[in-house]
Amino acid sequence: MNKTLSAASLAIAFGAAMSMAAAPIHAASHGGAMKAETEKCYGVAMKGKNDCKAGAGTTCAGTSKMDHQGNAWSMVPKGTCEKTMSKTSPTGNGQLMEFKEKKA
Amino acid sequence: MSGLAAFAEALLADDAPCPPGLVTWNGSAPDKRFAVYRNNVIVGLVDALADSFPVTRALVGEEFFHAMAREFLRRSPPRSPVLALYGEGFAEFIAGFPPAAALPYLADMARLELRRVQAWHAADADAITPADIAAVLADAENLPAARFTLHPALFLLVSAHAVVSLWAAHQAESVAAALAAVNPAQAETALLCRRDLEVEIYRIEAGTTAFIGRLQQGQAFGMAVEQALQADDDFDPAAALALLLRAGAITHITIPRRSDP
Amino acid sequence: MILGSTPNRRAAAARPRSLPARAGIGLKPEHFRDILDTAPDLGFFEIHAENYMVDGGAFHHYLTRIRERYALSIHGVGLSIGGEGPLDEAHLDRLATLLGRYQPESFSEHLAWSSHGGAFLNDLLPAPYDAATLARVCEHIDRVQERLGRRMLLENPATYVEFAASTMAEAEFITQVVRRSGCGLLLDVNNVHVSCTNHGRDARDYIDALPLYAVGQVHLAGFAEDTDAAGAPLLIDSHGAPVAEAVWALYCDALDRVGPMPTLIERDNDIPALPVLLAEARHADRILERLLPIARGAAA
Repeated sequence: MNKTLSAASLAIAFGAAMSMAAAPIHAASHGGAMKAETEKCYGVAMKGKNDCKAGAGTTCAGTSKMDHQGNAWSMVPKGTCEKTMSKTSPTGNGQLMEFKEKKA
Repeated sequence: MSGLAAFAEALLADDAPCPPGLVTWNGSAPDKRFAVYRNNVIVGLVDALADSFPVTRALVGEEFFHAMAREFLRRSPPRSPVLALYGEGFAEFIAGFPPAAALPYLADMARLELRRVQAWHAADADAITPADIAAVLADAENLPAARFTLHPALFLLVSAHAVVSLWAAHQAESVAAALAAVNPAQAETALLCRRDLEVEIYRIEAGTTAFIGRLQQGQAFGMAVEQALQADDDFDPAAALALLLRAGAITHITIPRRSDP
Repeated sequence: MILGSTPNRRAAAARPRSLPARAGIGLKPEHFRDILDTAPDLGFFEIHAENYMVDGGAFHHYLTRIRERYALSIHGVGLSIGGEGPLDEAHLDRLATLLGRYQPESFSEHLAWSSHGGAFLNDLLPAPYDAATLARVCEHIDRVQERLGRRMLLENPATYVEFAASTMAEAEFITQVVRRSGCGLLLDVNNVHVSCTNHGRDARDYIDALPLYAVGQVHLAGFAEDTDAAGAPLLIDSHGAPVAEAVWALYCDALDRVGPMPTLIERDNDIPALPVLLAEARHADRILERLLPIARGAAA
């Protein structure tokens, strides 16, 4: 595209954008953008965080709602990050990333 | 110190003794009863963070997340009774939390997830209609000077890490397989916006980032496109506009009347 | 100190009617769509005010639609009425905005505190029942009722400890608050059962000592069981289980004293599918229906 922006070229871009926006969503990139979100389409995912319950957690151990006072300073993350740890090789750089739409 | 101050302090302090002045009908030591309150406070707030930061949580695992969250909330308990938006400052805390140092992308993931919560609860606004756009195009001469109002739920997050890909991988059926395709060290920018009540997250390139960022700052359309082209030779204004239109992210376009020559 | 001598004219004009003397349930985002799709027959829904103190999005979208079809109770969990500091005026403003928007039939809060020194502790915490707390609580309720332009209901708490500094029993404290502030009473029957078990009191004597004439709503919920350091039962107000038999029995007794009342089934933990809660609500409705002929007969 010519870097000298005329009103006409902007209007043409706008017109093209309208028809692109009206087209069905495609997994292909548009605007250099890829859609990552695959929000589930059931219910409402966000919970209300204020309530007047006492956590089922009490003083007894063995309930998942108990506050375990582990020493955070000596802990090691043990989650899905373990699957990302080895990805430090330069071969991963710049590789094409594609997001697959997850079925709801 | 007043009675309630001692009570409040003992709730958040680790291994603090039971506050003074508590009694029980049967003469049992009050510590275990007081611990019910302490547990409610800590677990309730950890749960609030866990709900708002699900991918951050998944990345480090339940146990680590719980320990990290309780360290954070003891330093930074909520300042407002509205817990929906609790978690401001969590990313900054993570960035300075030594046990998480092996995951340089973790703080930005928390930033992305906080933005997602903010976008989810942001004010409602109607997207412009085709008729609005037609009116704008009828006045195409002044289009370069047009100013866009973007949706209150629209946010940009620029990261030196692959936050969008990491986030997206956690929505996949097989998280492990999806993560295998991600290089966390790849810089990415996230665009968040809300459509039909749900927050959508896009990975966008440098030109689109510059374009939307300038529009959000209130710069004129023509200027925003020029800045985007400087950031990225391949910037395609039509595609970027289409993205905004499709996301319902443009809520108003103002064309200044010809005051300037 | 009695509220309402010069009520705000607009507030008076907009004052909603009261909740029906039927069962309602707590409104949970998990159930938004089911409620709109199935339109269950229910007396009312109750929300926790703080969850809706956000600018927009799905919560307001669904609440607006559900409110169009059902009576609504707004139940605050963050005002910290029993707190030592002054009330959080910004929070009171948010509450006024929310009530203005949804015009609920009822507004209630807790005899508890949750904020101290600017920190929100996210639990309903106990305070000593003494003259200082009484003065503070009455002052706070006066302010709430003045700011909101309506009478509020105050809920009796579930507690796990008591204070050496208390100079009066809880029921007497509540009686004084109701008398001085003119607020109503939200009788949480589960809280009565939990607190009386935890403090070795008789639940029926406790209810008898409350200002029952002021009751405007009833709450029912489930609790969790633990033991204290001496091995005595310690009940936790978990809202994570069906209403216990003992609480249903206490509920029937309480209704004999106060007559049919709007009754909320509360569930905030381990939230089941909507029909499970509706079944509990129907159980409460059947108990209420048994009383209605008596109430009508008494009124006739």
